[in-house]
Amino acid sequence: MIALRDVTARKGRFALEGVSVSLAEGEYGVVIGPAGSGKTTMLEVIAGLLAPSAGTVQLGGADARRLAPEDRQLSLVYQHAYLFPHLSVRENVAYGAADARTLREVEERLDVGAYYSRDVLGLSGGERQIVALARALARRPRLLLLDEPFSALDPRRRTLVRREVRQLHRDWGLTTLQVTHDFAEAGMLGDRAILLDAGRVLQQGTPAEVFRRPASPYVAEFLGAENVFGGVAREVGDVSPDWVEGDPAQYAHGHRAFAFETDGLTLYAVGDFAAGAGHAVIRAEEITISRDHVHDSARNRFSGRVTEVQAVGALTRVTLDVRGVPLVAALTTRSALELRLEPGLAVVASFKAMAVHLC
Amino acid sequence: MRHRGTQALLSVVAALMASLLLLFLAAPILRLVTEGGSAGLARLGSDAELRRSLLLTGFTATAATALGVLGGTPLAWALARKRFPGRAVLSALLDLPLLIPHPVAGIALLLLLGRESAVGGAALDLGLRIVGTPFGIVAAMLFVSAPLFVSGAREAFAKVDARYEGVARTLGDSPWRVFRRVTLPLASRGLLASAVVMWARAVSEFGAIVILTYNPKVASVLSYDRFTSYGLQEALPVAAVLALLALVPLTLLRALRTDDSQSRGTG
Repeated sequence: MIALRDVTARKGRFALEGVSVSLAEGEYGVVIGPAGSGKTTMLEVIAGLLAPSAGTVQLGGADARRLAPEDRQLSLVYQHAYLFPHLSVRENVAYGAADARTLREVEERLDVGAYYSRDVLGLSGGERQIVALARALARRPRLLLLDEPFSALDPRRRTLVRREVRQLHRDWGLTTLQVTHDFAEAGMLGDRAILLDAGRVLQQGTPAEVFRRPASPYVAEFLGAENVFGGVAREVGDVSPDWVEGDPAQYAHGHRAFAFETDGLTLYAVGDFAAGAGHAVIRAEEITISRDHVHDSARNRFSGRVTEVQAVGALTRVTLDVRGVPLVAALTTRSALELRLEPGLAVVASFKAMAVHLC
Repeated sequence: MRHRGTQALLSVVAALMASLLLLFLAAPILRLVTEGGSAGLARLGSDAELRRSLLLTGFTATAATALGVLGGTPLAWALARKRFPGRAVLSALLDLPLLIPHPVAGIALLLLLGRESAVGGAALDLGLRIVGTPFGIVAAMLFVSAPLFVSGAREAFAKVDARYEGVARTLGDSPWRVFRRVTLPLASRGLLASAVVMWARAVSEFGAIVILTYNPKVASVLSYDRFTSYGLQEALPVAAVLALLALVPLTLLRALRTDDSQSRGTG
């Protein structure tokens, strides 16, 4: 549906540099990136509001350069809604409506009728975003471009509206590309995640791939992985129960076993990686903590001491000192309480070889 | 302590300078209106030439403003929205009529539109005499006041966030339809205010008009004529009426700016 090839575009201080991105018909794509990374610029290029200085943009297989924004069968919702202040709320929603039936359906599903008696300028930021969303959907586009459309909504409404948009996306067979800096939202909504930084695509794939298999230490840290270690990986044979070097056994799908040396620790990893200098990434959620050594399937097991316990609601982040290497584990606050974790306590951290991603 | 004393002294001097300037600007107008205002208003009933002159002024200024708005609106939009070669030169060119002395503007227009010129000659062939007719007045008013409209309208268009237009395009509107449904309504207050400024400037024009069309006389030329022919006492009521009429656009502008500031905060 969308295919950007080596697109370069500039708008003020925001720029895209040789960006290649694709999204299939009916997919829900999520663009993640820090402020100023070019996320909105990318949407404007796709919408035809900004002409790329190089590269090609294809929509539905056709060269989009020949298509004016109004002929691209898409709708764009900006973070700041951009409701027309000289029109009523209803006139805004109906502005580009495909037909009365679609308009009614959108009004009902997003419950925007509740705002019709209000003045546009009197709506809150969240209400404006809902009205802008309704206005975009009432056009019944084939492609929906959303620039942080839920950012001003309160948590309850965000959940409801997000669910409704996802449902509309399915019901109408829309192709949707949404910009967000909320990683959880990306995981929840997206069929495809595109990570953008400084105008370049760092990685794209399914959210699971991008989050579990970050392409670089930078991506890992950007996505919130707290355990990123530099070191050297060497291939080993996986002869259970011991790891034997010099026997690089091949596994299905190209997965192989590796030993990764970092600051005196050896981490075991399984995956389709390359040997040599690089980084190991372990998500905090993948690490379990026990007070004693237990026999389980985890190949990586380290003794250490708790240095910090930080409870954030139902989640607790525990930092361990493992032979001078800090290791962060995330566990439920209930588990942390049951284990009576506190600084200085000796514990065992364990994680599976498959939880170690080498990049 | 000494520093605080200097600050206080500077504040007093600044306030004094500002008050003096304000007094200098307001005093002549106040004096003119108090001395000749009532007589001028009374003259409106008895002085047919004054009535004709005021009507002519209003009509020609309105015609010049209409032409300025018609031509100036697309020009202002292009200057606000488009980047093209020669844009800076065009902007400077538009400021030029505001900077040159207005009798000089009158002479330049006479050279272009006079019967000896190509344009003036061609117009004459078509039966249209410009110099010495209301057309000459409109031309002089247009020349000196249109840049004010273009400048104000350009600012009004620039204030409209281009993303409103972008959203409208993605909602299915062609550029023309976006201009009509979004850009124009959002810029309308600024455009109207600019048109009022242009109209007011056209009404007050003298230097270029007096060279292009002395007769029939617009109000500014009539007050000058009365002054040179009959002296201050005869010129006073005409001048006072003109000063009072200036309150109309001034009030309109104040109202537009108040509304504009109240309707901000969109986005």
